[in-house]
Amino acid sequence: MRHWLRSFGLLLKWNVLRLRTELPIFLAIQTLMSAGIVVGFSLLIPWVDDVAALYLTSGAMTVSLITVGMVMAPQLVAQRKEKGLLDYQRSMPVPRLAMMAADAAVWIVVALPGLAMTLLVSVLRFDLDISVSPLLVPAVLLVSAGTAGVGYCIAYTVKPALVGLITNLVLIVALMFAPINYPAERLPGWAADVHQWLPFQYMAQAVRETIDASGAGIAVLPFVVLAAWAALGLMVTSRVMTRRA
Amino acid sequence: MSADAPVLEIEHVTKEYRKGLRANDDVSLQVSAGEVYGLLGHNGAGKTTLLNQVVGIAKPTAGGIRIGGKDAIAAPEMARRVCSLQPQAQAPLDGVSPREAIELMARIRGAARKRARRRADELIEALDIGEWAGAKGERLSGGVRRLTAFAMAAAEPGRLVMFDEPTNDVDPVRRRVLWGQVRTLAENGCAVLLVTHNVVEAERAVDRLAILDRGRVVAQGAPADLRGDDADRLRLEVTAVDSSVARSLADEFDGADAAVVVGRRMMVAVKADDCSAALSWAQVHQRAGLVDEFSFNPVSLEDIYIRLVGSADGVGDGTVEGGHASLAA
Repeated sequence: MRHWLRSFGLLLKWNVLRLRTELPIFLAIQTLMSAGIVVGFSLLIPWVDDVAALYLTSGAMTVSLITVGMVMAPQLVAQRKEKGLLDYQRSMPVPRLAMMAADAAVWIVVALPGLAMTLLVSVLRFDLDISVSPLLVPAVLLVSAGTAGVGYCIAYTVKPALVGLITNLVLIVALMFAPINYPAERLPGWAADVHQWLPFQYMAQAVRETIDASGAGIAVLPFVVLAAWAALGLMVTSRVMTRRA
Repeated sequence: MSADAPVLEIEHVTKEYRKGLRANDDVSLQVSAGEVYGLLGHNGAGKTTLLNQVVGIAKPTAGGIRIGGKDAIAAPEMARRVCSLQPQAQAPLDGVSPREAIELMARIRGAARKRARRRADELIEALDIGEWAGAKGERLSGGVRRLTAFAMAAAEPGRLVMFDEPTNDVDPVRRRVLWGQVRTLAENGCAVLLVTHNVVEAERAVDRLAILDRGRVVAQGAPADLRGDDADRLRLEVTAVDSSVARSLADEFDGADAAVVVGRRMMVAVKADDCSAALSWAQVHQRAGLVDEFSFNPVSLEDIYIRLVGSADGVGDGTVEGGHASLAA
């Protein structure tokens, strides 16, 4: 465990050093985008009631986590794969999961100010009455782990040239065709059924219920499903990374 | 050389890919502490595949690999921790400076902060890359990147260090320094395994070596042992006016060994007793205008290498000429 933590810490340092010039830009853009999504939604739908506002706010937070974990992170891995850097990484004396965790940690940090910004803008724009539960922290971590797990799974199993295409598809599904910004009832029956098995609606539900703690309560199911998806994604990724030719 | 058990033991390793391609075919070799062991061979001879199996990136189809007496195939993570590798692949230097990368890699390999810093300073000075030590990786030339990757592996080397083509892209002066650092690692007790196709440099740098051809070890031993019968021979090298003349001269030459032709050069090993006859033969042809120039030299490892693997199948020729290019450099 000491070796794991030491490796994680040093790889994290490496990542921060590597991205030091880009990180402020990533942070600024991610934060602006998070605010922009809420403002954009309110332009798209002029009359937002309390329920819709809650959906849009938690949806915006979920979508920014999905953007980071399932779009930015895999695209960066694909770039590294194309440059042949993964071969170097595979020869390094560090646990594979520590390597992935160090990568994901950077992206979670990039996403955090954006989440706060979304909440703030929503309160101002929609006059939303939020009540944040401490369970928001594990919810955000699980959503991040789930998105990163699936994101890395895409990055490591798909050819680099296809990664961009697939991550864009994921983003469109998340934005438009997943019960993230609206309730599942609005989807056709079959699509709602499919989403029972996908992580998107559980991501949204975990975030929504933890920022509306005074509402109907916080269900356990999304946490369980997200943990399973994160574990599955990381297992597949770890398997691909440790597989010997 | 240490009398202890070898640090690295590769026993009858065969690596076969699904399409039936044999990258390694019954390879056995041992590297002891304090020893620099060279793996020579053409592109595609199976050198990198062998290193990848030692660090658990690839898995042998048959055979055994032990590091410090422990089974490396069963415990690839152990192998990666005990052994440091400079892969042929580019090191991930984008955004980080050589100094940062060397220090971080040393620390990842277990060095304390102070030691990592000291080793980075030492290697940067020794390899004379101080000018770029603080520059970001993307601004570095191929040679400096390669030297940085070398230092990343050498900073905290573990018991076994492996370098895959460490001198590619590196200028001749720094190459010498780099070989000096390889020697220092061995003197400090590391077992060093290095892959190269630069035979001329390898001859000076290694204690023992194996020559790989199409996955098989075709010769193994100290450079002097490999010379064997050739120790009392000289190499006659004739530059003919063109390649067809070179080929007919090779056919005509009546010696103990067959002559090898590369372009318009013809090379052949000549026994010391036969040198005067060979000298007259060459002078006659020079006077006849068929030969531009000729020389006699001690038989080098390169000659042996060419004889063993530098077949006229076209694959050999490129490397042979590459070897001579570096000789001329």
